[in-house]
Amino acid sequence: MRNILTIAVKEIKQDFRDVRTLVFMLAFPLVLMLILGLALSNAFTNSVSLGEMKVLVKNSSSGVLSTAFETFTGEMKKSGIEFVSLKSGMNGVEEIRQNHYASYMELSDSGISLYGNNRSAIEGNVIQGMLQAFTDKYNAAAAVAKIEPAKVSQLFDTDSQSRSGYIKETSILANRQPGSMDYYALAMSVMVGLWGAMSAVRLIRSEITRGTAPRLAAAPVRRSEVFAGKVLGSIVQNFLCVLIVVLVSKFAFGAYWGEHLWLALLLLLTEVVMAVSLGLGVSYLFKGNASSGLIMLFVQLASFFGGAYFPVGDASGSSVTSYITRMSPIYWTNRALLEMVYKPSVSAAWPAISLNIGLAVLLLAVSAVLMRRKEGF
Amino acid sequence: MNVLEIRGLTKKFGNFIAVDNMSLTIGEGEIFGFLGANGAGKSTTINMISSLLRPTSGEIKILDKDIAKMSRFAKLNLGIVPQDLAIYEDMTAYENVSFFGGLYGLRGAELKARTEEALEFVGLADKVKGYPKNFSGGMKRRLNIACALAHKPKLIIMDEPTVGIDPQSRNYILNSVRKLNEDGCTIIYTSHYMEEVEEICSRIAIVDHGKIIAEGTKEQLTATITDVKDIRIEVKSLVEVAEDQLRLIPGVRTVKLDDHEPVIRIHSDAAVDNLNRILKQLMDSGAEIRAVEEQEPNLETVFLTLTGRNLRD
Repeated sequence: MRNILTIAVKEIKQDFRDVRTLVFMLAFPLVLMLILGLALSNAFTNSVSLGEMKVLVKNSSSGVLSTAFETFTGEMKKSGIEFVSLKSGMNGVEEIRQNHYASYMELSDSGISLYGNNRSAIEGNVIQGMLQAFTDKYNAAAAVAKIEPAKVSQLFDTDSQSRSGYIKETSILANRQPGSMDYYALAMSVMVGLWGAMSAVRLIRSEITRGTAPRLAAAPVRRSEVFAGKVLGSIVQNFLCVLIVVLVSKFAFGAYWGEHLWLALLLLLTEVVMAVSLGLGVSYLFKGNASSGLIMLFVQLASFFGGAYFPVGDASGSSVTSYITRMSPIYWTNRALLEMVYKPSVSAAWPAISLNIGLAVLLLAVSAVLMRRKEGF
Repeated sequence: MNVLEIRGLTKKFGNFIAVDNMSLTIGEGEIFGFLGANGAGKSTTINMISSLLRPTSGEIKILDKDIAKMSRFAKLNLGIVPQDLAIYEDMTAYENVSFFGGLYGLRGAELKARTEEALEFVGLADKVKGYPKNFSGGMKRRLNIACALAHKPKLIIMDEPTVGIDPQSRNYILNSVRKLNEDGCTIIYTSHYMEEVEEICSRIAIVDHGKIIAEGTKEQLTATITDVKDIRIEVKSLVEVAEDQLRLIPGVRTVKLDDHEPVIRIHSDAAVDNLNRILKQLMDSGAEIRAVEEQEPNLETVFLTLTGRNLRD
């Protein structure tokens, strides 16, 4: 065990002294997170800001309707809707046509007419909805007045108005949704986790190219110890990089990581273990630079199709793209993280964790068998 | 007690036999020269002794223990100085020696003391915090040696430890080898520099085509060569020398023009009196002769006679 730790510490020390690689591993995802997070912020927003709305009103009503309407306009002002009286000489319909107001309303004792503005469709719908609420209430009041006129005033009482209100907010997206920075914080962290494969593919070969393999082979250390030490060192180094990216995104960029950060980190750790095992497995299966090239290609494709650079939707379809997307460790890890953080569903993490660990065990077993068959390193 | 014993050692790579039924015994306190041209099989042999390669057949014993069965014991008593630098450029000299010392079970204060001792021994005590990437070639070679010393092995294999370094560093390393030997270390030494082997080795084996073709002290080996003579001719310039014409003279075995000085070295049958014909041929071709010397056979002559090649070929 001490030999494994000695080799692991040596690996970590060497990796963190490789400043160029370290800067690339940390600066690239953080800068990309910042750029994409800021540039694509609108693409992730689900709300529309309407601002203040102006409604032109010609009020020729009298009595109860006039009183009720005044109460209504007073309440609406609190919600940012201003009712402007039609001045003499003004043509209400023409004002709408000129886009000076969101809507034009005519009140008389015989009823209410509302003119909408096609160029302010959302605002028009909001006003129409509120007016509908008002007329329903007024009709109810009129019915009450016929039976118990004394209780009509209670219906338009300001205090009870504010309690019931004319506006009720209903969201069809009940769960919290990730903003652009939130999304890229998750995606970049997952991407950095997969980069572990790129360093792992050179893990054993680096001892051969440095010329240190004969000395390691001659030392009283089992090859399995060298193997385990290097794998452990690589996992720790790569996970520390992921951890730094996660912490910077959370505390410096304010990205949301949910209520179960430790579980999110566990998921990312299993991804790193799987990535290191993948790199190692490929280095034993393919000779020389072919293995590095293959891993580089895989990581790039997995990042692109897995949603590291832009969000990917549901990939359960049968198209080739969906199939490639599903094969990406970034896709399944990122998807699990998103569900875990935003659904929020802790159980969403376990299938991805199991898949990562299962693949890691398989790839490490293949590497171990191939290592035992091979002479030297 | 034998420090190293090899019996019937064979290594095949497919159909190619790199080491062919080799047997060898090295006693305690020897500096054993292992000579062979490139591809002769000496590196393969060293790689099998150091467990980097598995023998196809045969047996290797270190301190009377079979390395196949007592691998840990054998390895604890073996130090390797590989031909290619086996050091980490991004770790300090101290960290390099300490890391490899740690793999031999050294810990704490003992590891620290042994690391400092090894660095002191190779003259790098003032460079403990230095990174090898900033070292000269000679300093890197010395660090390469230090990494094999911290665990105080009984047997050290030095594979071309002086290749590509300045004369000063070479002398330092050769003196270090002698000192290690005086301290009780047995050393297997390979080199492309024949003069180094002649200078420090107590016994020498010549390897060719995977077999040991001669073995003994320098005197024993040169005594076997009685049928050849070495002629050294110094000329003003090598430009006029017709090398091919010299080879056609009866008795001449090889003709070698020196790379560094205007000297022709001719390896010839001792029984054939051909010196006059050689000199006449040189004068006919316009070469200006400065000196002629007939030399006693040396290790180079032995090597050339036995293998038909120069050591550096």
